[in-house]
Amino acid sequence: MLFSRFLHVNIRKPFLTSLICACLCLLSGSQTIVVAQQKPSFTVGWSIYVGWNPYHYMARSGVLKKWADKYGIDIKVQRFDYAPSLDAFVAKNIDGCVMTNMEALDMPAAAGVDTTAIIVGDYSNGNDAVLTRQNLTLAQIPGKQVLLVEKTVSQYLFERAMTLAGQGPQLKRVKYINTSDADIAAAFLSDKSKPAVVTWKPMVSQIAKGGDAKVIFDSSQIPGEILDLLVVRTEILNRADGSGQKFAKAITGAWYEVMAQMSGTGPAADKVLSGIAEAAQDTLASYKEQLSTTKMFYTPQAALAITTSPALAKTMDLVRQFCFSHGLLGDRTLSVDDVAIQFPDGTVLGKKDRVRFRFSTAFMQLAAQGKL
Amino acid sequence: MNPFRLHATPGKVTALALSWVLFSAGILSYFYVAGKRHAENPDDRVTPTISQMVSAFQSASLEPFEEEIAEEGATQKSIWSSISSSMLWKDTAATTWRFLISVALLFPAVVLGLHMAMFPYVGAFFLRFFQFFDKIVALSLLPILFIAFGIDELSKVMLIVIGVAPTIVLDTFNLSKSVPREQIVKAFTLGAGDLAVTYRIIFKQIWPHVLNSIRLNLKAVMLFLFAGEMIASADGLAYRIALLRRNMAMDTIVPYVLWVALLLFLVDLALNTINRKMHPWFQEI
Repeated sequence: MLFSRFLHVNIRKPFLTSLICACLCLLSGSQTIVVAQQKPSFTVGWSIYVGWNPYHYMARSGVLKKWADKYGIDIKVQRFDYAPSLDAFVAKNIDGCVMTNMEALDMPAAAGVDTTAIIVGDYSNGNDAVLTRQNLTLAQIPGKQVLLVEKTVSQYLFERAMTLAGQGPQLKRVKYINTSDADIAAAFLSDKSKPAVVTWKPMVSQIAKGGDAKVIFDSSQIPGEILDLLVVRTEILNRADGSGQKFAKAITGAWYEVMAQMSGTGPAADKVLSGIAEAAQDTLASYKEQLSTTKMFYTPQAALAITTSPALAKTMDLVRQFCFSHGLLGDRTLSVDDVAIQFPDGTVLGKKDRVRFRFSTAFMQLAAQGKL
Repeated sequence: MNPFRLHATPGKVTALALSWVLFSAGILSYFYVAGKRHAENPDDRVTPTISQMVSAFQSASLEPFEEEIAEEGATQKSIWSSISSSMLWKDTAATTWRFLISVALLFPAVVLGLHMAMFPYVGAFFLRFFQFFDKIVALSLLPILFIAFGIDELSKVMLIVIGVAPTIVLDTFNLSKSVPREQIVKAFTLGAGDLAVTYRIIFKQIWPHVLNSIRLNLKAVMLFLFAGEMIASADGLAYRIALLRRNMAMDTIVPYVLWVALLLFLVDLALNTINRKMHPWFQEI
């Protein structure tokens, strides 16, 4: 009894005060929300990868804010794990997201979310690799177990490798073991009975350091097929108030400013690269090593060259056939043409009335002309 | 009558209706959202409609698995053979096999816990270790498990055993200790030996409680099993869910999750029923 009275006297009052405080905070919070709503706000999701880490630096160094202010908008960048970032983009929780050309096709586009690629940032030029033990060749893999994250670019790379080696018909005999990317390096290194693994950097480097496995095929042998993009929902670009266009211009401007800083040499560029490496808790040396197997498009001109080249349509055709034959476009997509892709020159791969994925050069073009 | 009193008793119909309120609220709000999303975007995959889920479940449970088609061609088969070659069946069989082995491996843990409680030297040897081991989060030691057990079936089963066995050992230990000391003394005065006391006095009394404790830990077993299958495997229910997530095939995932829930519910019910039939005197607390 005495104790409860003690409680009442001494705890109730601070409790009430804090309740009032909380209410006040909420009120003031909602006021700032009202202010922010007058300024259009956009969110871009990114995940850790050599070609995407610059987004972290872009936000931290203030480059992004400078460009957003120039266009009178707010842009936030938010770090995700890769798969959840795709989920968030498809669920329309974020406005822009980084992903590969394959995922852009089989996640948002195949789920009916009209998607436009506005920046082609880089392509994997050795980042993704097939590694084997005991000098096993591609021709010897059928009938054996392969560790990889199934139905991702890893499987695409492996099947392209097998096809190029003339082993396409043998693919059915390969036994895939679906292994989470977080554990694949540890799993392969510790289980010596598994002869082959397909993964990407930095796991490739960890496995190669382990000593007994060697790279027998990597993405530099299929250059330009695994593209890393910044995509946005097409409906945002078409917003009546023009805020979506401003968003695309601002982020493209910021991106190429960071690219210019990155591509320099000397201590200034190293400082930028360290800032970027920090995004992944990585060291400068390790990041540079990853950059060496990534073909970055440091200038808008370089990015335009690959986006407008006829090779892109060939690549996308390989990718869409892979996605379709592995059921990645969904069970109810009965024809590969039902998820159509539009290229910058207006040509369409697939049915013209079912365009779901577009490559746009509009903003890279503006950047190249210095008109941002 | 005021329904918010302790002695208020709802009638049979009212009780039934009340128990369905949350189910129907959940189902209705799901289909409201699904309908809205599909009106906006007919290709939406995040919230499948009921017809999509039904057809996806049918193709998962009745149609032969894609690899089979390539090998055998489309020949006419009976319903049973089409079910037994379906994706759902194969996944369920793989997961059930792992599940049963893991649960079977929990029974030695019961014997160990019992002996720890009865024989002070055994207790002194194991108790501290298991108390410590019980608090280890087995999932975070995966790389070490891979080295010790490879990445095939054994590592998945061991993940479960390491995760759940200490709990069972300690639970059995505590249950055995809670049997009144007087009964042991009495048994000795009537001429029982050590093992007779252990197995015929103590074990008989705690056995239904231990079964109950294993039953309550089934969900932990399933969680560890799912974690293991999602990390590295080539078949199983969680493997399929992890794979389908990659192309957001929620129309198959949702029925899969419901199927797993149903299976777990049935195992739980079966264990409970067997326990009650075997030990009519046992009243769950």
